[in-house]
Amino acid sequence: MSNLNKTTISMIINNENYDDITVETRQHLGDFLRDLGFKGTHLGCEQGACGACNVLVDGESVRSCLMLAVQANGKKITTVEGLNSSEMEIVKDCFVKNNAMQCGFCSSGMLMTTYEIVKSNRKYSREEIREMISGNYCRCTGYQAIVDAVEDSLNKINVGV
Amino acid sequence: MDDLNQNPKLGAADRPNSYIGRSVPRERAKKLLEGKGKYVDDILLPRMAHLSYVRSPFAHAKIKSINIENAKKYPGVLNVFTIDDIEKVCTPWQGVLGHLGEMRSPTQYPLAKDIVRWQGEPVAVVVANKRAVAEDASELVEIDYEDLDAQLDMETAMDKSTKVIHDDLENNLFWTRTVNQGNVSEAFKQSHIVEEVTLDFARHTGVTLETRAIVADWDSSEEKMTVYHNGQAPHMMQSIIAKHLNLSEGLVRIISCDVGGSFGIKVHVYPDEMVTVAVSKLLKRPVKFVADRLESYSTDIHSRCHKILGKIGVDDKGKILAFEIDDLSGIGPFSVYPRTSAIETNQVLNLSAASYVVPNYKAKGTVVFQNKTPMCQYRAVGHPIAVAITEALVDKAANALDMDRYEFRKINLIPDNSYPTKTPSGVPLEDLSHEACIEKLKKMMNISELEKYKKESLANGKYKGFSIINMVEVTNPSPAFYGVGGAPISSQDGASIRLEGSGAVHISTSITEQGQGTEAVMQQIAADQLGVKIDTVRVTHGDTDATPYGGGTWASRGAGIGGEAVLKASRKLKENILNIAAVIMQSEVNNLDVQNDQVIRKDGGEVISLKDLAQIVYYRGHELPPGTNAELIATASFSIEGIPFVFTNSAMGCLVDVDVDTGLTKIEKFWAVEDCGTQINPKLVEEQIRGGVVQGIGGALYEECIYDEMGNLTNGNMADYLVPMAYEMPDIIVDHVTTNSGRSILGAKGAGEAGTGGAPGAIMNAINDALIPLNTQVTSQPITPEKVLKALGKI
Amino acid sequence: MKSPAFSYYQAKDLADAINVKKTDDDAVILAGGQSLLPTLNMRLSNPSVLIDIGNISELKEIKVDDSNLIMGAMCSHSQIMNNKEVNEKLPILNKILSQVAHPAVRNKGTHGGSIAYGDPAAELPAFAVLVNAEIILSGSDGERIVSAKEFYKGLFETAINSDEILTSVKYPINRNGMKLFFDEVTRRHGDYAMAGLVGSIKQNNKINEEINLVFFGTGDRPNEAPKTCEYLLKNEYNYSDIKNTLKNDIDFASDISSSSDMKAHLSAILVGRMMKELN
Ligand SMILES: Cc1cc2nc3c(=O)[nH]c(=O)nc-3n(C[C@H](O)[C@H](O)[C@H](O)COP(=O)(O)OP(=O)(O)OC[C@H]3O[C@@H](n4cnc5c(N)ncnc54)[C@H](O)[C@@H]3O)c2cc1C
Ligand code: FES
Ligand code: FES
Repeated sequence: MSNLNKTTISMIINNENYDDITVETRQHLGDFLRDLGFKGTHLGCEQGACGACNVLVDGESVRSCLMLAVQANGKKITTVEGLNSSEMEIVKDCFVKNNAMQCGFCSSGMLMTTYEIVKSNRKYSREEIREMISGNYCRCTGYQAIVDAVEDSLNKINVGV
Repeated sequence: MDDLNQNPKLGAADRPNSYIGRSVPRERAKKLLEGKGKYVDDILLPRMAHLSYVRSPFAHAKIKSINIENAKKYPGVLNVFTIDDIEKVCTPWQGVLGHLGEMRSPTQYPLAKDIVRWQGEPVAVVVANKRAVAEDASELVEIDYEDLDAQLDMETAMDKSTKVIHDDLENNLFWTRTVNQGNVSEAFKQSHIVEEVTLDFARHTGVTLETRAIVADWDSSEEKMTVYHNGQAPHMMQSIIAKHLNLSEGLVRIISCDVGGSFGIKVHVYPDEMVTVAVSKLLKRPVKFVADRLESYSTDIHSRCHKILGKIGVDDKGKILAFEIDDLSGIGPFSVYPRTSAIETNQVLNLSAASYVVPNYKAKGTVVFQNKTPMCQYRAVGHPIAVAITEALVDKAANALDMDRYEFRKINLIPDNSYPTKTPSGVPLEDLSHEACIEKLKKMMNISELEKYKKESLANGKYKGFSIINMVEVTNPSPAFYGVGGAPISSQDGASIRLEGSGAVHISTSITEQGQGTEAVMQQIAADQLGVKIDTVRVTHGDTDATPYGGGTWASRGAGIGGEAVLKASRKLKENILNIAAVIMQSEVNNLDVQNDQVIRKDGGEVISLKDLAQIVYYRGHELPPGTNAELIATASFSIEGIPFVFTNSAMGCLVDVDVDTGLTKIEKFWAVEDCGTQINPKLVEEQIRGGVVQGIGGALYEECIYDEMGNLTNGNMADYLVPMAYEMPDIIVDHVTTNSGRSILGAKGAGEAGTGGAPGAIMNAINDALIPLNTQVTSQPITPEKVLKALGKI
Repeated sequence: MKSPAFSYYQAKDLADAINVKKTDDDAVILAGGQSLLPTLNMRLSNPSVLIDIGNISELKEIKVDDSNLIMGAMCSHSQIMNNKEVNEKLPILNKILSQVAHPAVRNKGTHGGSIAYGDPAAELPAFAVLVNAEIILSGSDGERIVSAKEFYKGLFETAINSDEILTSVKYPINRNGMKLFFDEVTRRHGDYAMAGLVGSIKQNNKINEEINLVFFGTGDRPNEAPKTCEYLLKNEYNYSDIKNTLKNDIDFASDISSSSDMKAHLSAILVGRMMKELN
């Protein structure tokens, strides 16, 4: 390739193949996904602190602002637009029912962290839920509705039994 | 939890389609959770260019020269502008209002002209095909500065030796006001005890998770400016952009769709946003500016930054005789346009002691300039300062008299049966319920148990303390707030509602959505008042081309003012529907009602669906007798008249643990009893209150913009500027007392700011209660572990 | 903000990475990126190329034998927390890592990155110094081992030469009777500490024979406190004495989170907690 600051990558996003996309190597995954139209991934700080940009890479939540798009070459990405497993549908219902968001800017990141919680398939106390989501900043809610929603989800999904 | 409306003016709570008072899930929530929210940064327009600002690295400096040539040559750069270019299309402004006495703030230019006055002030703007490229080129803009003395400390701002920030002013004073009711000095003389305290409040800022963002799209063919803006007041922006860019106001369209939190941060006029609009006009193409997090710390308005001295005089029975405050605040180098930076101090003067009967009241406020980020109104304007100083003094007086803090409050609170009355500062009050709230709070908190818990803990070397505070919150402002002073800010809001051919109901409202649930609340009111199912109702908001004119969302006014407009419009539409139905169904109007999307006969029998009715009107109008008034659209508007604001009140309390080894405060519990009148959706109200409390906890324990001695903001990033996160936050128990506002049918007041206004005082008092056995107190917010340990003499 | 431009190189194996690193002084190793990318996004550094060592599988291994636990540089914090053997042999690591950032950061942040970056407020470097772990570096001249005590030279300065890569960290385990302690004081969960302590005590018949203390968040690197350890071997814990002795041991340095006085105070408090817990 002529320009060393660009490279061509492929990945699977929400179970669809995205092949041979040329990106600037400096571009982080969050911007890359947003440029592709996955606007549900939000950027709140671009320094790893707020968690709004969390996406799943090979099934693990990561900060998409702290990962280069090129690092995701060949990987499986899930954005909020693709968070459609039956468990996550229950989680989303519980978020709606508990009013666990106001402006919604933090929500996709919160859902990614909730995905991790659900995935671990064990019981959580409210305090443990608070610990898990302590890397996700929400300025609107008092966090309580989010804790309620996660707790409610775990009960409904019946994890850890 | 009261889950039903308690307002007889709205009709029986148990009728069909009674949505007001019910926690109906928000429809938009689902959309937001699917990642389908539409925020400004999501907008993509053809040929859209991106902006990056070159900002002052100095707090105060002369600009000797600017060289943009290298930046202009950088590949991908479209242009670079300085004030010389921008000035040609955008006029400067002045952040003064006419109704609050003399304000002295000089002209502010959209980009710095000759002098920079805070670190972060925009000096030049680079336009490029990508944001990253614009940033690359920003590094190539060469600016030669000559450093000037920075005036940073508000306490020395007025000293003779201090640098005056604006040459054309003789000193650094922006505004001052005094209030004097009764005879304070005489009352202090007669007081049995007099207590004093000085409190400090650090500067902090709003930290909306979505940063400020704007897309401007100038269409030169139509001379039309379309602006996508994550603001709170579209019509205000429309007027201001038209005025300063010399455009026809009707041809400026502001669209504000989803907004990722605002909290007052996004209701002001920012130089970089005005420049973005100007650049679009200059380049005749759409341009986008999204503040990054570092820019948002140094350029979003800051707030608080107060030092306040308070004094209370009390007789031997515990009756408050006199209350006096002297408040000093520093606002940065300019008063912010168009709301000005005087309002926070004005509110401190208005609201101190406002829950209590205080016959003699004196207050002085002084607002001075500084070379720091401009300061302006942020959530709960002035309330945290007013509440904290009041409640600190009340606790001190009660303790000095050895009186129970609850009993002391009870004898001094404005009685529930004494409205209408006035605050000690002379502002009208009505429909409040301090006594009922504190009673309820006391029960919820179980104060005798808390006393026991405190004692037992102390025996184990643990320091626990609790607090009870009372407050009023300013909501639903009338024109007296801004409009009267000359700002293009509407205090009236409008709603238009129509029945469509499909039977769907469509509302458009001038209130915007920042996540508080505007859409849901308007849907509920309309469905409730019309008698339709909630999913029949759609809402349009946040578009000056599509909605009625109005003020937007700030000062906790959306539900109370905008909601009343929707209510009135819905009632008009229902009247029209029933009149038409009476013709079609050949019935007395009085015998008809709308329920579940149908017009029914109260005495039973044949019904007609709204869909059928609408289709008769729209498609087969010939079936109606000639001259039938077949309007299926209604509009209404509402504004508060006769009083400056609709106040709400609340009582809050919290229980803290102060670790005297580390200085860390843990909030074990927080309680709030709020009276916001009719609650349209209790679940939304509750999380508003909790969110507000958590922001208040932020101010009380964490948040602070830290400057070094050169005027550099040293913690302007999300890792170093601490905001409350989930782990440290307590569960917050919320309950309500309901006193409907007599100013509207709906009876709703606001609920958005009480938590933020009350929590700082509640937390400070609880910490100081815990510290009583150690004979010390804290008086400076945020109450960091370090300040606690200093108070304890440990460091 | 967006990163300045740089190019990207995905190393095939260790030798490849070292090769590229050797030829370019401005090349920077990219491990988990959880410390590097924030600095790039804020334009605080300007590398020519990032050498991604994320695909070198040998760097992702965790090996355990009777006396050592060897952590490949590219093991993520989460991988280590979920490793059964680590949790059995060196359970304190799990406790430490649960205080490092948050799940999404721990999924990417690496052990090697944390040790190599050497943030003075980070937990792992202090722990490595406490147990004097062996830090294994590979360069163009082959492999060398630096003991953790020799590894940290100053603020973000380590013994890694410009052509070297940290490949693994070797921790001694099963050290007879050695009890370990970890605690830190943060204002919010997952933040870097205002002050933190990892410590160890070896006892014989309930008599303290050996005490080690390493502080983090206190100075320009993990701070050992030999005089304080010596004091504690001879005396009961006493807050004021400990604080004074600590001040002799450590040049406490203020940072944005707290003043040097605060750090000295908290350090003394943490020593008190440790003596209480381990005795
Ligand atoms: C929000 C947030 C909170 C955090 N909180 C904490 C905390 O509380 N405690 C804590 O300890 N850490 C914390 N971290 C940092 C985190 O632990 C990092 O992952 C870690 O410090 C660096 O690891 P990395 O793999 O991400 O390294 P990178 O960011 O990839 O690299 C960091 C530096 O080390 C160099 N480097 C990395 N690996 C090697 C190697 N093998 N050989 C040579 N050089 C190498 C790189 O060149 C770079 O200069 C936090 C991070 C974030 C974003
Ligand atoms: S944007 Fe990635 S953590 Fe904030
Ligand atoms: S809902 Fe707005 S940030 Fe969480």
